[in-house]
Amino acid sequence: MSCHGNASVPAPIRSGTATATGPDALPVLLVGGPNVGKSTLFNALTGARQRTTNAPGTTVELATGTWRTAAGSTGDSAVERMILDLPGTYSLLARSSDELVTADAVRDLAQSFAELSSQAGVVVVVMDATALPRSLYLLAQVAETGVPLVVALTMLDLAVGASDSPRAALEPDALAAALAAPLGVPVVPVDARHRAAGGLSALALAVNDVAAHPRRVTGIGAPRAVADVGQDLAHAETLFAWVERVTAQVTTCLGPGSGWAPDTSGQRVHRTYSDRVDTVLLNPWAGIPVFLGVVWLLFELTTKFAAPLQALISHLVNGPLASAVTSALGLVGLGDSWVRGLLVDGLLVGVGTVLTFLPVMAVMFAALGVLEDSGYLARAAFVADRAMRSLGLDGRALLPLIVGFGCNLPALAATRTLPHARQRLLTGLLIPLTSCSARLTVYVLLAGAFFPAHAGTVIFAMYLVSVMLVLGAGLVLRRSVFRDVRAEPLILVLPAYQRPHLRTLGMSVRMRLGAFVAGAGKIIVVTMLAIWVLMAFPATGQHALGQVPVADSLYGRAASDIAPVLAPAGFGNDHAAAALITGFVAKEVVVGSFAQSYAVAKPPDAARAGGLGEQLRVSFDESSGGHGGAAALAFMVFVLAYTPCVATLAEQRRLFGWRPTASALLAQLAGAWVLAVLVFQVGVRL
Amino acid sequence: MTLPESPRGAHLRVTGVRLPAADAFRLNEMGIRRGTLAHVTQHAAFGGRVIAVAGSRYALDAQTAALIDVEHVEPLG
Repeated sequence: MSCHGNASVPAPIRSGTATATGPDALPVLLVGGPNVGKSTLFNALTGARQRTTNAPGTTVELATGTWRTAAGSTGDSAVERMILDLPGTYSLLARSSDELVTADAVRDLAQSFAELSSQAGVVVVVMDATALPRSLYLLAQVAETGVPLVVALTMLDLAVGASDSPRAALEPDALAAALAAPLGVPVVPVDARHRAAGGLSALALAVNDVAAHPRRVTGIGAPRAVADVGQDLAHAETLFAWVERVTAQVTTCLGPGSGWAPDTSGQRVHRTYSDRVDTVLLNPWAGIPVFLGVVWLLFELTTKFAAPLQALISHLVNGPLASAVTSALGLVGLGDSWVRGLLVDGLLVGVGTVLTFLPVMAVMFAALGVLEDSGYLARAAFVADRAMRSLGLDGRALLPLIVGFGCNLPALAATRTLPHARQRLLTGLLIPLTSCSARLTVYVLLAGAFFPAHAGTVIFAMYLVSVMLVLGAGLVLRRSVFRDVRAEPLILVLPAYQRPHLRTLGMSVRMRLGAFVAGAGKIIVVTMLAIWVLMAFPATGQHALGQVPVADSLYGRAASDIAPVLAPAGFGNDHAAAALITGFVAKEVVVGSFAQSYAVAKPPDAARAGGLGEQLRVSFDESSGGHGGAAALAFMVFVLAYTPCVATLAEQRRLFGWRPTASALLAQLAGAWVLAVLVFQVGVRL
Repeated sequence: MTLPESPRGAHLRVTGVRLPAADAFRLNEMGIRRGTLAHVTQHAAFGGRVIAVAGSRYALDAQTAALIDVEHVEPLG
């Protein structure tokens, strides 16, 4: 057998050995297993020309982009292609909605290819050089569909052999050539983390070549529908046998001592660098403290680290920028009009809210990227698996749930690390029940006002209630609408540890921030404008538009209308109702809302509420028939459970759609009311 | 003998997978099936195990590991 190219076997393409003759509109699908470097390759190919969308009818996130290949030295013209980064999978026999998106995309392309011949598109199968047998199995499944395909070989820098000796390091061309021979399709070694080292141009040429001249993978049968592939173990066995044949041929080509795939032959396995690191990070005693330390670091980053930036943005928007807009409007005679209110108190406040969330989201996206790229995230899932198993969730779900105690919004962002859409949805619905730091200001105010001697205990109890709510709601959801989410056997491939690549990380953060602004940002701004309208329009009295006292506004009317509904919980007064409406926008402003409605100065420290505390005691005592303490406890429980802030809701809608978001909101409102009534009614009887 | 009973550093051959059929099939697809040679690289918390198979490292929870039957083999070289 020859290891290198002949008339029917293409040599590995490293430079202009193919002609770019492919039509530029053909899509390119990136297909590969998890952690094979697929997204890194996608980022390198598309640069800033990318965006994230949900696959039609699903909550599965897809990245699409434009792959612009430069004109080559051989005279071929520049080509633009639409490229799709499909969810990672080990098999086309899908076991989750994410994997189904990938399988369906390949099936659709195969069908188009069967109908249009060479005008359908190309699949780039991204194969991990450190795990060729597993990658070859997926390649075999894709090849069986009959789609034109090219192999991109990644992780070559990590493809060292078991001997761990320098000699074992593979030359990229050597492995690619050894692989191309038995496969009969182009195999391009790529190093997407270092664009200069490249392979990207060669990949473009290979894709163009295969688009124009499709060829089949050697040894794989005639095209068949994906639905028929490997339906039984017997068929899978034929693919396993093919994988073993190819693996043996590659090993023979590379020769003994190449170090490749040695442990299939039973040789002694030496510990790699990653094995040595795992001795600590997965140690039965050290692993959990390390994991908790990582989570603590995330918590700190998304709260304390981002806080100064948030404060600066808020100061700039509400200070100099608002003043500038007001001054500009004054120059055209609109300085005191409703137009100023609409632009400054509505639009600018909305935009400012979105902007203030950008630092915390950027920090979270960057931190998750580091955890993912470094290889630690898979270890975190392994370490935390036991804790989440009772909820049927992956160990990775623990990370967003803990981050939620800092801020719900970045916690939602962290759900993207979960591999299955249903698990992401379940986790995303539980996150609003984690008591974010904004709610803490409400607890501090009320606990200080009503239980000054036991304020710390009361606040601690609120966090315990939050944990119990997460567990309780999780168990209820698992036994009802999430019965399909089951605790699956944990079988995780642990990627080798790597140093995160800053450029790739930056591009990923930028893309995700853009998606947040475009998706959730618009909803936040519109909601802020709606709140302004409610406050600007009078419900009673003769007031000019935008010059309405809160009590006479539509907002005040709404608070009065809502107050009786809250009476069974002991806080059926206008002040509490208005604060809860404001709390829907942002929990941070509940204290300010109380101060505004009582016409007292907002206390600089919520723990020393002063006059505001006295006002609260009076009105809560009145609305509860003398049981102000019980009413205050009920109010805190209600604030914990009734709804997340509008930014969190907007992000939920972006990630999961309107229906789950609205259903969860209604369920939370109802649940919070029941809990608050329960707390108050029990409280008055103690 | 099952996987959790094997000490760290042991060289093994998989002799059976007693997981539910769908789970066992996915394990097969990922490269762990009867006859596969494996090496225990790590014992983790709560009985989890990490094994090396064909250059990859697989983390398995205690329950899953307990349903994988293995036998000891002597490594070559």
